Amino acid sequence: MDAWRSILTFGVFACLGFAADAPPPLREPRAISLAPLACQRSVPALIVVRGEGLADATSVFFEPPHAGLQASIAKVEIEPPSEASMRAKRSFDLVHVRLDLAAGLPEGSYPLRITTPRGFTNAVSMYVMAAPVEAEPAGTHDTPAAAAPLKVPGIVSGRITQRGESDLYVFDVAAPGTQVTFETISGLPAPGAPGGNANGFDPSIAVYEASGSWFDPGRLNRLAFNDEPLWVLGRRTDAHLTHIFKRAGRYFLRLEAFSGQGGADYTYVLRTHAGAVAPPSQTPVVKGWEERGFTRRLEPERLQQLAERGGEGARKQPVMETYAPGATLKLPAVVEGVLAQPGDTQRARFQVDKATDLAIELETPDAAPPEFNPVVRLVNEQNEEVATSLFAGRGLCTGALNKGAMSKVVVPLRDTGLYTIEVRDLTSDLAAPRFRYRVVVRPQLPHLGNIAFSDDRVQMPPGAARTVRVAFDREEGYKGAMAVIAENLPLGVTALAAADYEEDRDPPASCGKRERYTPRTERLVVAFSADASAAPMSGPALVKLVARPIVNGKPGAAIASREIPLMVVTGKP
Amino acid sequence: MMKRPALGLLCGVAAASAATLKILPFESQLTGAGASQQLVAVLTADDGTERDVTGEVSWRVTPPALAALDAARVTARADGDARITATLAGAPAASAIVHIRESAKARPVTFAREIEAILTRQGCNSSACHGGVKGRGGLKLSAGALYPKDDFHWITEGGVYQVLTNEVKGARVPRIDRAAPEQSLLLTKPTGAVAHGGGQRFDKASADYRTIAEWIRAGAPFGDDSGRQPRLTGLDVLPPSLVLQNDAQHRLVVVGKFSDGSREDLTRQVIFSSNNGDVAVVNQSGVVMAKSLGETAILIRAAGAFASAGVGVTGPALSRYPSVPRGNFVDDAAFAKLRRFQMAPSELSSDGEFVRRVSLDLTGTLPPAARVREFAQSRAPRKREQVIDALLASPEFVDYWAFRFSDLFRVAIFANGLTPKFSQKYWEWIRANIESNRPYDEVARERLSAQGYGPASRHFIPYNQIGTAQDTMAEELRVFFGRRLDCAQCHNHPYESWSQDQFWGMAAFFGRLFKVGSIVIDHPVDMDWSSKDVDAKIELLHPRTKAPVRPALLDNSAIGIPDYGNPRRELARWMTRHPYFAEAAVNRIWGYFFGRGIVDPVDDFRSTNPPTHPELLAALADDFRQNGHDLRKLMKTITMSRTYQLSNRPNETNRRDVTNYARSLPRALDAEVLLDAVAVVTGVPEIFSTAVSEAGSVGQAPVGTRAINLKDPDMYYSRFLELYGRPNRGAVPERDTKPNLGQALHMLAGATYIGRLSGPGSRLATLLAAGASDARIQEEFYLAAFARAPSADEARDFTVIMATRTQDREAALREFIWALISSREFAENH
Repeated sequence: MDAWRSILTFGVFACLGFAADAPPPLREPRAISLAPLACQRSVPALIVVRGEGLADATSVFFEPPHAGLQASIAKVEIEPPSEASMRAKRSFDLVHVRLDLAAGLPEGSYPLRITTPRGFTNAVSMYVMAAPVEAEPAGTHDTPAAAAPLKVPGIVSGRITQRGESDLYVFDVAAPGTQVTFETISGLPAPGAPGGNANGFDPSIAVYEASGSWFDPGRLNRLAFNDEPLWVLGRRTDAHLTHIFKRAGRYFLRLEAFSGQGGADYTYVLRTHAGAVAPPSQTPVVKGWEERGFTRRLEPERLQQLAERGGEGARKQPVMETYAPGATLKLPAVVEGVLAQPGDTQRARFQVDKATDLAIELETPDAAPPEFNPVVRLVNEQNEEVATSLFAGRGLCTGALNKGAMSKVVVPLRDTGLYTIEVRDLTSDLAAPRFRYRVVVRPQLPHLGNIAFSDDRVQMPPGAARTVRVAFDREEGYKGAMAVIAENLPLGVTALAAADYEEDRDPPASCGKRERYTPRTERLVVAFSADASAAPMSGPALVKLVARPIVNGKPGAAIASREIPLMVVTGKP
Repeated sequence: MMKRPALGLLCGVAAASAATLKILPFESQLTGAGASQQLVAVLTADDGTERDVTGEVSWRVTPPALAALDAARVTARADGDARITATLAGAPAASAIVHIRESAKARPVTFAREIEAILTRQGCNSSACHGGVKGRGGLKLSAGALYPKDDFHWITEGGVYQVLTNEVKGARVPRIDRAAPEQSLLLTKPTGAVAHGGGQRFDKASADYRTIAEWIRAGAPFGDDSGRQPRLTGLDVLPPSLVLQNDAQHRLVVVGKFSDGSREDLTRQVIFSSNNGDVAVVNQSGVVMAKSLGETAILIRAAGAFASAGVGVTGPALSRYPSVPRGNFVDDAAFAKLRRFQMAPSELSSDGEFVRRVSLDLTGTLPPAARVREFAQSRAPRKREQVIDALLASPEFVDYWAFRFSDLFRVAIFANGLTPKFSQKYWEWIRANIESNRPYDEVARERLSAQGYGPASRHFIPYNQIGTAQDTMAEELRVFFGRRLDCAQCHNHPYESWSQDQFWGMAAFFGRLFKVGSIVIDHPVDMDWSSKDVDAKIELLHPRTKAPVRPALLDNSAIGIPDYGNPRRELARWMTRHPYFAEAAVNRIWGYFFGRGIVDPVDDFRSTNPPTHPELLAALADDFRQNGHDLRKLMKTITMSRTYQLSNRPNETNRRDVTNYARSLPRALDAEVLLDAVAVVTGVPEIFSTAVSEAGSVGQAPVGTRAINLKDPDMYYSRFLELYGRPNRGAVPERDTKPNLGQALHMLAGATYIGRLSGPGSRLATLLAAGASDARIQEEFYLAAFARAPSADEARDFTVIMATRTQDREAALREFIWALISSREFAENH
């Protein structure tokens, strides 16, 4: 396979007829959930993937592939119709998958897909654990008498089978002061979780004791409860609870879906730990480059990183010095501080001797919005506000004033003189040792910002074409081009530069000096075309898309890449 | 010289005897030529009843040269201290003192005092006339003469007031003519010389005409504008409350209190009106006439002040008033009033009555049959207190009061940021506060001043937007002060002394509330915080003046608010220390336990809606403050009182009473409590689903979830709850507990009643499976539903019916259960 079969350079748009006249999409196979959600490594396991269009499933593959993971299909069956599926007029397939999990397999999630002759599914994740995984007992166990035993430490893989169901577990605490941590993992992304939707499973847990009441001697009384301390779209909604038991005795843990949803896909892993285990970070996990997230790391070497993303990596950039609040800065500079007292305002000054285009970036390494919400102001010698990290605008329809807290602002400074940056919390009442911030004040460096790929799989029959959009941000006046290279294309498949139809966009919802806060976003399109004579594949090939800046006629280093499974499938286009 | 009594002693009582006579006011001041004071003579009989004997006594002035006395009105003649004596056969004579000063000095007519008094007494500045929102006929006066400067301006300079702007509409035509006083509109209109929509108010021969004409002739001065002129600060009504037998009369005297400490008779310068003319009427001389049994308030409006006097109309006095044991201080005030009203409280409630009532009131839960039996059999001397303590410590108490305060604090998805995640966090915050019995003032402070992402801040973002400052402020005042200022948003309050400026000054505390992302902040005044291309300042503008409004407390007390800071913290501190806070809280809680507040509605404190038991309200509020705003302690105090524990069975004296807590009055159970009660009695739980469709997102509360435990009730559709008045929490809830046709139909055919009479797991099925007899089944259900065993009649009737239904015993038992749960006895707390 030619690794460099095609190079697509932004700006070389070829208007391909099929882009506007695409064939109707094939009904792609779809995986919805799998159960049990977790398996113990080194122990052979059988899992069932539930989905649609899987009746002729042929194989399973993990993405990325892992030598310690072997999977094969044991059998495929049609799910017996249920009241719910009949009402929905849909039928579901169950793919039984046999797994061999190597002893040295790291704990974690492993996305898998099912392959059929008509294509392969989206990825669904299974979890590999080092410790034994117990299956939730069959039938309901929502009363103290029927509660399922729970080990500490231990792992249970279960399912909220129907709406309104709550799974009750019982466990014993041997000594007062015992600390236990409970964790859940949802098998179905929930509202708020990455990729989640309204049908997702957001687990809630609570610890009870059967201390009774005047009304009911057997009443379970809640001791502790967990739901996400911060609920922000885009963050996981899995529950995590650490509780110190004041007394030895018998306790219960109830697990249910937030708002009481349930169904065949509402699978979960419940894990207990003796002692306190830190909750997973509530800050979003950043994979690859993140231009503007509050939790991205602002390294002293940031200027060099930006230069590379601007195709100017060969030109060495200075390492920034880090200052404490109150200092007089020599730009470029990093200021690090903590807003530990309510109403704290921290300042640093710097001199501007000539007109400068500045970029001010803000990082919150520990607590992040919405818990900690710093704002940066730039004021001149007359104490006039020159810029802030708040993007203000008025709604075009209502005229209502909106302000958004941003992590980066670019400012053209035309007046020389002494400037001060002020950092404070948006609230006047909140403060904490965790309210750490890092502010970078530096000259602007044109570069490519975030790069996003629209699809995570490509499949098409012979003679058909599919597109993948690559959106990229021009930061700080980047005027170069961006190239995307498709590597590892299978035989019979070509990748072309393309442009597809783009709907007219509504004007922004509010006016405002948006260019200071948001980059100019553009996109290019990679069109994959399968020759009419291309042979259907038994499984997907991993195609790699690599992005590079091109400045002054020279390609820069690769700054982003994405592996996408691609498969030529049977069926008419 | 006569020895002066202590200040504040307003009546003089003659030496003790079978009946006593007193003169009101006991001490008065007459300042200026022609000053006078109305007197009232009151006879108190040995049974405590009082009677107006003003017209029956013989009056005497000593020395006679100091004052004239005519129809119980004493008028100054010469400076000095005069003693007034009243004598009546059968009672020792009573006396009063009158201090007369400057009797030869004519007092100048001032606008604020004399002219405003006329405008008030003649009804010109009433809300139905020129005191209305827009005024009337082009003339706007402040209601009740609350703003004399404004009134002076409109009268002497003319022009037409506009509601939405400070601009004056139309030509400036003064309502007075200094050159030709008699041609002034201020005189020609009320005398009918010129067409007047309000008709003729006085004639040319009247004193009012002369006063106004004299004032205009004198150049129509405002008077001393230096601030030294005494202001009217309040009214004393004597006596402050009346108990009259049917058809009796009693005169009221109104004494004005001025800022310089002086007092003056205003009886002739006020307007009297009755809140309920069916109970008592009042004429403009202040004479109250009893019409029928009941209770009402006489409202008194002077220029710049309001007051009220309670009036109770009773039947014949009891020949022997019973001795009633006291539970705690609550009973002192409640029973004292009953005694004055010649109403005897009912007996102590039965054990069953008490345990059902207190269980429902403290936990929203019916007592289990076993507990009812246990309580009835207990001989423990403090068993009622023990049950109260057990209930207050129960998890069901936390459930119930989390529900109650979720109602008041409006936990609803649309009211808390449009996501159930936010509303449930808010619910959890309320629940945690109840569970830990956090002092109520702390709860209030956190809710009032919350910033950031915390749960208490979620209520500031209904529909995911910051609520308007005016709506937010009005709601907080209603919740924590029990007062409704809403009217003052657009204009000065027509009935109360709340001005539009006061409203917006208070609203300004919330005027900087701003939402950035999902957090709530107070936007600084001194910073734009912008991207420099839009006007990003946050300002609250006065709707009339269009000027920025600064936060100002309701009492105009000074307050320093930093430009960058949370102004609501200061507000919260002030509010929770203000007397209104505690009295509003105790009144609200009292309302939950008695079905009506001491001020009712519980969040409508105003001078025209006075408390039925002001002393009780004050005592409860004081106790609440003394105990650190402890809600559980307050509830224990209330439930431990004998007043709370009285039976619902009336006696001859209190049968018609609905306001004095002479007996327990039945109260409809709230929809959620009733639905839970049906589920408990039948043993068949309610299923709450988030929608009626089968979409994947449909959720369901776990089986057995009680209606009061739904965290986001608006997510769960329930026909029953809608029919029985569950509020949607769109505003501070006011539950509609009136019966309606839908309820009747639901009772006959609805799933709540019909669908859960038997079936697997039900109480009936369990009893049948255990082989229970008919009598046992009847007793179990009676205890579960009514907390009592069936009476002999009920048991006999039941036996007779069941004897005829041996072929379909279970169907007959289902009908029996239906009859129980659809009865009034079941659906009410009594």
